[in-house]
Amino acid sequence: MPETDLIWMTALVFLPAAFAAGLLLFPARWVEAMRWWALFGTAGTLSLSLCVVVGYYAMLDTRVDAGGQPRYAALSRLEARADQAASDAARGIPRYLADDWVTRRPWVDRFDIDYALGVDGISLSLAVLTTLVTFLAVVASWKIDTSVRGYLALILLLETGVLGAFLALDFFLFYVFYEVMLLPMYVLIGLWGGGRRRLAALKFVLYTLLGSVGILVALIGLYSADVRDFVDQEEVKRQAAILHRANPSLTEADALQKVEVHSFDFVTLGKAGRAVMLVLSGQESRLAVRAKPAEEPLPGDDTGPVKLFAPGANREEAIARLKAQPICTPAFQYLMFGLLFVGFAVKVPIVPLHSWLPDAHVEAPTPVSMILAGVLLKLGGYGLIRVAFPICPWAASELAWYVGLVGVVGIVYGALVAMGQTDFKKLLAYSSVSHMGFVVLGLAAWSAGSRAQYWAWGVNGALFQMLAHGITASALFFVVGVIYDRAHHRDLNRFGGLYEPMPLYSGLSAVLFFASMGLPGLCGFVGELWVMMAAWNFSPALAVPAVLSVILTAGYLLWAWQRVYFGTNPETRSFPELSAREAAVLVPFAVLAILLGVWPNVVMSWTEPSVTGWVANLAALRP
Amino acid sequence: MLDWFEAAPGRLYVVATLLPLGAFALLLVAGAVKNLCRPARQEGGRASSVYWLLGGDHPLRAGAYLATALMAVSAALAVGGLVWFLRDADQSGHAARWAERVEWVRVGPPAGPHDAPRPAAALELGYRIDHLSAILFAMVTVVGTLIFVFSLGYMADEAGQRVEDHEVDRQTPRPGHFARRGRYGRFFLYLSLFAFSMLNLLIADNLFQVFVGWELVGVCSFFLVGFFYERPSAARAANKAFIVNRVGDAGFLVGIFVAWSALGTLNIEELTRRVRPEANAGTLTRADPGSPAESARPIDRPGSDLLLYPAAAPAHRPGEPARPPEPDGSMPYTLFVLMGLGIFLGCVGKSAQIPLHTWLPDAMEGPTPVSALIHAATMVAAGVYLVGRAFPLFAPEVLLVIAYTGAATLFVSATIALVQTDIKRVLAYSTCSQLGYMMLALGVGGWVAGLLHLVTHAFFKALLFLGSGSVIHGCHHEQDLRKMGGLFGPMKVTALTMLVGVLAISGAPFFSGWYSKDQIIASALGYGLVHKEHVLLFLLPLVGAGLTGFYMFRLWFLAFAGRPRDEHVHHHAHESPRVMTLPLVVLAVFSVGVAWGSPPWDADASYLGHLLHDSEPAAADVPFAEEHHEAHEVHLVAGVAALVVALLGAGLAAAMYWRSVIDPAAIRNHVGGVYAFLRRKWYFDEVYDAAVVNPTVGLAFAAAAADKRPTDGPADAPPRRFDLLTLDGLLTAVGQLADTAGRGLRTVQTGRLRGYVVALALTVVLLLGMLWGLTSQASGGR
Repeated sequence: MPETDLIWMTALVFLPAAFAAGLLLFPARWVEAMRWWALFGTAGTLSLSLCVVVGYYAMLDTRVDAGGQPRYAALSRLEARADQAASDAARGIPRYLADDWVTRRPWVDRFDIDYALGVDGISLSLAVLTTLVTFLAVVASWKIDTSVRGYLALILLLETGVLGAFLALDFFLFYVFYEVMLLPMYVLIGLWGGGRRRLAALKFVLYTLLGSVGILVALIGLYSADVRDFVDQEEVKRQAAILHRANPSLTEADALQKVEVHSFDFVTLGKAGRAVMLVLSGQESRLAVRAKPAEEPLPGDDTGPVKLFAPGANREEAIARLKAQPICTPAFQYLMFGLLFVGFAVKVPIVPLHSWLPDAHVEAPTPVSMILAGVLLKLGGYGLIRVAFPICPWAASELAWYVGLVGVVGIVYGALVAMGQTDFKKLLAYSSVSHMGFVVLGLAAWSAGSRAQYWAWGVNGALFQMLAHGITASALFFVVGVIYDRAHHRDLNRFGGLYEPMPLYSGLSAVLFFASMGLPGLCGFVGELWVMMAAWNFSPALAVPAVLSVILTAGYLLWAWQRVYFGTNPETRSFPELSAREAAVLVPFAVLAILLGVWPNVVMSWTEPSVTGWVANLAALRP
Repeated sequence: MLDWFEAAPGRLYVVATLLPLGAFALLLVAGAVKNLCRPARQEGGRASSVYWLLGGDHPLRAGAYLATALMAVSAALAVGGLVWFLRDADQSGHAARWAERVEWVRVGPPAGPHDAPRPAAALELGYRIDHLSAILFAMVTVVGTLIFVFSLGYMADEAGQRVEDHEVDRQTPRPGHFARRGRYGRFFLYLSLFAFSMLNLLIADNLFQVFVGWELVGVCSFFLVGFFYERPSAARAANKAFIVNRVGDAGFLVGIFVAWSALGTLNIEELTRRVRPEANAGTLTRADPGSPAESARPIDRPGSDLLLYPAAAPAHRPGEPARPPEPDGSMPYTLFVLMGLGIFLGCVGKSAQIPLHTWLPDAMEGPTPVSALIHAATMVAAGVYLVGRAFPLFAPEVLLVIAYTGAATLFVSATIALVQTDIKRVLAYSTCSQLGYMMLALGVGGWVAGLLHLVTHAFFKALLFLGSGSVIHGCHHEQDLRKMGGLFGPMKVTALTMLVGVLAISGAPFFSGWYSKDQIIASALGYGLVHKEHVLLFLLPLVGAGLTGFYMFRLWFLAFAGRPRDEHVHHHAHESPRVMTLPLVVLAVFSVGVAWGSPPWDADASYLGHLLHDSEPAAADVPFAEEHHEAHEVHLVAGVAALVVALLGAGLAAAMYWRSVIDPAAIRNHVGGVYAFLRRKWYFDEVYDAAVVNPTVGLAFAAAAADKRPTDGPADAPPRRFDLLTLDGLLTAVGQLADTAGRGLRTVQTGRLRGYVVALALTVVLLLGMLWGLTSQASGGR
């Protein structure tokens, strides 16, 4: 019998795909039924994701740390849970009733590829965002009339891809899901898009593939590393036994010496990366062997030993083995980090690799734009948090300032270019570039030692900014969609006077505009403030342009506001107010924008322990 | 229930703050539901009945009454709270009873009972009531209630089903008259949100929460200035107000970040203890960078460090003398100065000080009650309040900047006010100028004087604005002073109450403005006597007092005295209804007596001033002992000088605009250049447009053009031509290169066998040749 969390998480990932398959059974004429079916499927996925949140929170809340405090127990961190699960698996300890929200099944044994899923606050919050935005996007898709079946199936398939990428703990599995979501998006833009849709879709695919190729190279490069001292020693013995059987000329002892263990596991690769960082920064003496399968540093453990090697490993041999590998060279680390960073940063997107985004947004139909802005961009930020930074911490810390600079350039450049737009949708696309720059900046604000909590603010801010941007950007793209349905153009200079005929629409838009602008009390403010607080502590030279960008942001958004909602315009005077369906999309977004802005703890209480753990792991490496 | 208040009576203030928010939420939900049901209003059914239940095509009046009632309750709570606080303030340990704080968000596990608190671990929400916040809270709620009541009458037009806005027709001429639905409820919706934000700002005990209130009042101001958003001028003014304020807010953010990063907390009390511990009598301690804390000597030169002390209150054992705390860190002094400048820049924006004052006169596009509440009495005073609140965080250098900013503002705005002809713009510039007085007072250490003026000014400026609103209402939305005159006859209550306001702002004895302005001028003189090089800080406010007398009396005479200059306006002029004149009378009473003390002829005896003195920070007291002493000595001289100058100004106004002894036109012609300069408001707007706004917008369009070429037409294929002038084109060129290369190579694949054979043969020959060359080289080498 499989573990319960395996069932939950697998169901969460594949439920949309199952519903997509179910769509094939519908007769072609039952268009309305297909819509309801898809709506039902996304609603089910949303409910499932919330169930997982409840389960995860219960796990978090029932495990207490040494001081008796819940939620911050080191053993409830993703790394600790994964280590413990791997160790149990290697020893054959049954885990039927495990409530650790980590699961691992062999998939392609020959290449050590696992079907490994797991959640922590970082991935789960983004997964909930995904299910929510997809659900509302399906509600927003009611007006799509051409090939409804294919359209809805692709949206559902896309959701499976994204959820899989967020939940995957195995690099290869992650990569598969990452590519799975590329194709539906390509088709959705290319078939249901606007006038220049084929070019936009091509651009989207080429840019993203360019990034993916980098990630693929890094994936293979990292797989080449021998991580035998970081995985459970029972696993090493098992592989040694296999080697011995395959090659009888070796004695068992020799086999044990010679065996190499390779892994796609994020947690294991992260351990190796951290060990490399200690070696490369001359802190070899801090490397230590764990006494228990799962042990994690606490915030404030800044100068003590860093227990990275698995219990039973020989510390000296392990260090010697590590240093003999190419992974332990600066060039290799820089290369890996560069490939991963560029790969994910294309998705974020960073300047100058952002060029696909405005085209894709402008051509994509409204619901696809919502998913693109609300969810797909977050995969870039998530990749940086989950993959690039923890696996190559040394290069990340060496390059932190430049990474921050990339973020700041995005913030300022995006805001400036947004100000120069006359197309409503393009303006929003560039504002996404600007807002996502805060994510990169917050991650890069690497402060260690006694100032590590400033970095924790930055990473928390980056994550919160992703959630907030997911809400405001999706909602604003829908805002444009609503007005496009009435005016059939997106030219800012030809709108005006919408407040009078459509007061409800304008009021909801106002909430979202100001949330996007970062008004206190609304969601956009929270993340930006934390990121800037961290950035100032990290480098005032990076923080000052970010602070000044709040003026630019107010400038372009209010200018757009003035041109769309203020003034008078006979052409817009008779526009009908929001329909109930349209209101049903916008109201949840507006309510969430207010809720997250007033009470960020509604997600912070379960995302923040994961982020704190993430920061504690990395900040301890640089005293 | 009562126990809950007894435990921490400050909760009264929390409730009073949240009441307007409740009104806002109710009105918001009601409005949203109504508008959602509106499309179905003709169809019958449930949605339609909800629509008609909520007022139907008319705006819902009940919402406005509800908002006003809740505001009145809030005011009653505030007054009750003030009384309670004043009775409680003599008891020991009252500070702890009137303050609470909770964590809003934190990073990392909560500190255990034995752990030292980590710096910068949590952002908090909290309140702290002292004399200053209690008095200002009462002032804001009382003035706010009066203005809510006034608005019930002033905005009555908006309660109609159809409102014609002739200003829109004038600004955007189109065939037919512009008409829209009334927005009665929406006005009170915004006003309630504003009241909540402002009160939140007042009770906040930390800079973060102040910033939250700061931005929220800004957005309310945005919507209220742009209330008549069909008028392009109003839409522009709303944007300008918000964006100019954001410039200040960016500075405020920098101040917050410095405090957060260097001092590790945002709680104002803790920040004060970090830099000016009580045992050091509120002074800053500076030391050589890197020197050990024990040997820290006070030094005073650039490049030094500021010593920091523990944020926690020192533990007192009864019977033991308080020991000076040990420093536990340091920060560069220049950073401390930067922090002060940053916070002050926020105050400059909010309080419309030079150079960020340009938004306030334009903000007069909003309805007049808004101008009275937000742009005269409360929101613009928030900057002054924050300077007073964060006073210990300002280095002496920053205080000097504050003083000069205030002095420059009070003078420049007063000169502009001399020549304005729009009744509200005169008052707007007068507001800038009076706020300048307050800033100046704070900068020269006259903490009580500045904040006393804040309170008195709130009453008489609200009175003046509401009076002007009554005039505008009575004259059917005519705001031009040149078309008024002789309105005393039809509008006696308005004229008399406004006269009270004019006397109060000019500093006539026994009116509230006299007490506060007297103290300001005395503080400035005292400062000027101690620091001879800064004598300008005394001269400018003195001249300003004369200018104030002139422009205020000019306004009053132009509006109410003399003969009607426009028969049409005069003919239709009428006194406003009771609901509007009653607030005027109440405010007039406050404008006279709010600062009285015993004896009333002693400006120093103001009771309100004494109350404010109780919350004066040590930083405004000890370091300014000498200046305060001088100010006390010369109080009478300063007062007489200010009075004489103000009388001169008022007399000149009377001679020009009442008795017509002097012809204003002649003077205007005589000094045409100066007149034009003042009419153009010192060309601030023009310079900003040319130096900041247009370059930024230009840069934005240039950036947009450099980013991507606008795509016209339906061409949906990869572009053939290279475009190396845009970022997008450059990246596309990489793809195009690959594409071109592929096309080029395709021509080689002809499919003709002969060609392939030739190529094959040539390759074989070439390879053989290379092989031969290599082997011969190798053998030759051997």
